[in-house]
Amino acid sequence: MKKIFCAIVLVCLSTSVVHAKDDDFKSVVRMIEQFYSVKHQGIPFLAKAGMKVATTAARIKGGQAKRIAEAGSIKLAVFEDQEFDGDFMKFRSSLNGALNATWTPLIQTLSAKSAEQTYIFLRSAGEKFNVLVITIADRDATVVQVTLSPKNLAALMRDPEGAGKAITEEATIIDQE
Amino acid sequence: MKSLFQINIRTPLMVLLILTTALVAQAQDSRIQMGSLDHLAAKASQTVDVNIDERLMRLATKFLSDKDADEKEVKQLVAGLKGIYVKSFEFDVDGQYTAADIDSIRTQLRGPGWTRLLNVTSRKEGNFEVYLLLNGEQAGGLAVLHTGNRELTVVNLVGAVDLDKLAKLEGQLGVPELEIETKPKAKNDEK
Repeated sequence: MKKIFCAIVLVCLSTSVVHAKDDDFKSVVRMIEQFYSVKHQGIPFLAKAGMKVATTAARIKGGQAKRIAEAGSIKLAVFEDQEFDGDFMKFRSSLNGALNATWTPLIQTLSAKSAEQTYIFLRSAGEKFNVLVITIADRDATVVQVTLSPKNLAALMRDPEGAGKAITEEATIIDQE
Repeated sequence: MKSLFQINIRTPLMVLLILTTALVAQAQDSRIQMGSLDHLAAKASQTVDVNIDERLMRLATKFLSDKDADEKEVKQLVAGLKGIYVKSFEFDVDGQYTAADIDSIRTQLRGPGWTRLLNVTSRKEGNFEVYLLLNGEQAGGLAVLHTGNRELTVVNLVGAVDLDKLAKLEGQLGVPELEIETKPKAKNDEK
């Protein structure tokens, strides 16, 4: 009887952990909304269409067009034309605190000049990798979560800043190819 | 039942063992704590914070293939490394960081095992200090402290690393271009 009870508790616990892990994207979006008193716009059509052909990464490296994110893996939330007025140090600290258990912070950049903050977090997903890119500028913000193959992880590790930008652009720019 | 004598002998031995373990662990720890610099982000025009920790290094080593040229290259770069940590600040005006800020890093680099390999001062580029941590005869970590009038950068590589590896990592994996000469110039280059 004790064993059955323990098993049930274990299953419940593991389910809630997985659920929490899966909801990190939503949590980050909610955190931005609460911290900056803004509201995101979902782009269900584009996201469900598996997004467009991305040439951004290739453009940065000067090579041929190629996708970074695995097909259909893009989660995207966009905040447009809203005020992102707040203590970025406080926001950074809350963000890191919320994601620290399951995500590794890869690179974080803050630019006072352009009032831009970029955060790139990474976690393993079986033999692939989830990348969470959060970009907050003066009046716009994007939260993108994608799945990467090991080959694209190599590209991300090599040039975290460039690859992070490419991931956001891949998710938000419609190419005409 | 344990005698008082047994307890008395064991307790100091346990304390000694714990202390020795702690000291050895401290001596071998090549991770520089940079949290004391975080407050500078509020004054900086540009802040970059890179954290490639052991978890990520292990994942990279585990999943990157030897068959693909790009993956192989990154795998070779991270081989032997346990972490890459960079904190870099750029300021619009002079004098935004204090001697105490730099000392919070330098104090750690004066700890056991750390040796200063290079100290280059350039009026234009500022001051570069390169430190190596030796665990016995093996390199256990490397740190670069770059201080300029309007710039402060700390690079900390944890694991088996030398100046050649640092040169290979520059501009990759979040390590900034430091342009530190690791080899003496050839005669032809000096002309």
